[in-house]
Amino acid sequence: MDFTLTDEQQLLRDTAVALFAKECPAALVRAHIADPSAADPLTTRLREFVALAEGSLADLCLFLEPHGAAAAPGPFFPTVALFAPLLMAIEHELVPRVLDGELSGTVALAGADGEWRPNAEPVKTFVPEADRVDLVAVVDAGPSGPSVRVAAGGDARVRSVHTEDFSRRLFEVDASAAGGHTFPIAAGALDAVLERATVALAADMVGTARHLFDMTLEYAKERYQFGVPIGSFQAIQHKLADMSLEVERARGAVQYAAMTIDADDAERHRAVHVAKAAAGRAAVRAAKDGIQIHGGIGFTWEHDLHLFLRRAFGSEHWMGSTDWHHDRLADLLI
Amino acid sequence: MRLSFGPETEAFRDELVAFLDEHTPPEARSAFDYEGKDDPDREIVPEWARRWQATLFDHGWMIPAYPPELGGRNATPVETLVYLEEMARRRIPRSLHFPGYAIVSPTLLEFGDEAQKKLVPAAVRGDTIWCIGMSEPNAGSDLAGLSTRAVVDGDHFVVNGQKVWTSYAMIAQKSMVYVRTDPEAPKHKGISLLIVDMDSPGIDVRPLRHITGAAEFAEVFFTDVLVPRENLVGGLNDGWRLTQGSLAHERGGLWVEGVCRLEQTVQSLVDLARRRGLEHDQGVRRQLAAMYELASSLRALGYKGFAGFAQGSSAPEHSYMKLATSEATKACFELGTRLQGAYGVVSDRDRGEENGRWVHGFFVNFANTIAGGSSEIQRNIIAQRVLGLPRG
Repeated sequence: MDFTLTDEQQLLRDTAVALFAKECPAALVRAHIADPSAADPLTTRLREFVALAEGSLADLCLFLEPHGAAAAPGPFFPTVALFAPLLMAIEHELVPRVLDGELSGTVALAGADGEWRPNAEPVKTFVPEADRVDLVAVVDAGPSGPSVRVAAGGDARVRSVHTEDFSRRLFEVDASAAGGHTFPIAAGALDAVLERATVALAADMVGTARHLFDMTLEYAKERYQFGVPIGSFQAIQHKLADMSLEVERARGAVQYAAMTIDADDAERHRAVHVAKAAAGRAAVRAAKDGIQIHGGIGFTWEHDLHLFLRRAFGSEHWMGSTDWHHDRLADLLI
Repeated sequence: MRLSFGPETEAFRDELVAFLDEHTPPEARSAFDYEGKDDPDREIVPEWARRWQATLFDHGWMIPAYPPELGGRNATPVETLVYLEEMARRRIPRSLHFPGYAIVSPTLLEFGDEAQKKLVPAAVRGDTIWCIGMSEPNAGSDLAGLSTRAVVDGDHFVVNGQKVWTSYAMIAQKSMVYVRTDPEAPKHKGISLLIVDMDSPGIDVRPLRHITGAAEFAEVFFTDVLVPRENLVGGLNDGWRLTQGSLAHERGGLWVEGVCRLEQTVQSLVDLARRRGLEHDQGVRRQLAAMYELASSLRALGYKGFAGFAQGSSAPEHSYMKLATSEATKACFELGTRLQGAYGVVSDRDRGEENGRWVHGFFVNFANTIAGGSSEIQRNIIAQRVLGLPRG
């Protein structure tokens, strides 16, 4: 295994870091709580990067890590990680316009149990950004296998599912009355789309975990108590060492999973579950220990930390929690 | 980023595998298998192991990055990684005594004079067995606090003191011993390194049984031991920086064996769970999956660190890997005992699982979370050297 980044990959990552630092400050995430249109300039700026959906997953993950570090809101993630790959899988005529960034979209799949497995239920749950996208791809399961129907966003009935994560808006979608042509999709092709999206989400989570860790490390160096930085205390040092280990191994797991998918390697099915579970453990740990090390200030609304705590927990519970992925992984191992 | 290395590297792998298939003695293939209770009289370096190490040396497979005269073939960093991978995957030891090839050879090559460098080939080939005198009863994690004294007297040093946890001291012909030569200087600045013949008068080796009952290391007592002045390695009072000696060529791949062992232990746990009829128990399944996740992500982290190492970074991942693989492997063995209920501590051959392998392994694996920098020291290193936190 060779984890060396190419010059192009290095450039892509640097571009993403600079872009999100400039276009997606914490103030934008905050403003987006009351007014989702606050994310519109960011969404416009990200249009040119929807084309990453047709490149390697490793590249997309490099781009999405800073995306998660900024807790970036808006339809970019569902479009690039779910909608575009699904449309490519069914060779939909709108693919070029989606990849050009002209049309945004989301995917409605999970049923009432919230699990991302094909089902015949008319109402889909945990659909991201369903009220602010141009198109909704609804995945159904029928007697002859799964199928995809692409409906206009305005034609679906949507109801907000309020979660504690303000940065990712989720919806219940009833598209049974909306039109749209139905395309059959092979179960394996649908699985591949979902595996890709799961790793993309894990990359976003590694970014969130990394940001929580970075904020906490900086705070431990500058916060003085008893006349010394709290980061000089071994109790704090060991917590930070363990946090950074979790973040680093999750990052490795995500990059590895992306490589296996890009290479169509047989290990990819296990690697996807490993990536999401490792990212979940890293994000949750960074969030919990991050708040704890910040002490009282981390408990305030004013401090930005809770925006990322929310993103971390939101991502952990979306598209399969760590426990859920461990259960699927066990099915492949035992 | 890609899943495999280039075709030249894979050709190197093929050549190694062909060599191993042809030459590996059966004892080497089962050297790590647990057979049951530790036998205190077991031979530490049996004849087959001496011959195997010499064979590896003679074919340039002992330390591939070294030149042929030192048992290598001038291998590149990537080739060295491949070598470590294949050996670990097959659980084949290249040697049953690490100090000579892994610590003495790089230290003497870097810091030794011409006469001392001549000791290197025999150390790597295993013809000379070495031990390293570092830890003392009052200098463990705080190694720089060591107090074994060496006083210059004419052409000799006179050494007095005690070392402990000295692996292979019972069978070693030579040792590298860290001694205090200036008790007035700050503790890091009064240490020197000496080569000491183990048959010197005044050396008393007492085997030390460890937690499982086996005796693999010893206490070594020095009473007025005379060491020729030319046996000083490096400068007088400049010994501390020599304690960092290890195979620089292999530093980027030190994690491989730990990860392979962890992965193999996880697989054994899955087999154990099946034998115990626990394969449908959701709690057990989740714990096994979590262990697999840990092992798999650590392998990825190891390769990621190697990519940095190969490009010249200092590979901070090593401390992460040492900490994580040792803790995880110990936790796996503990889980193995828990899967057996009341039989978790049984070591009878005719009852329980694998002659008590799991509880024994749990005990033995404390060695890995303590030796070579304990887990707590690893966290200190990560915090201070990798994360840049201030010393307390």
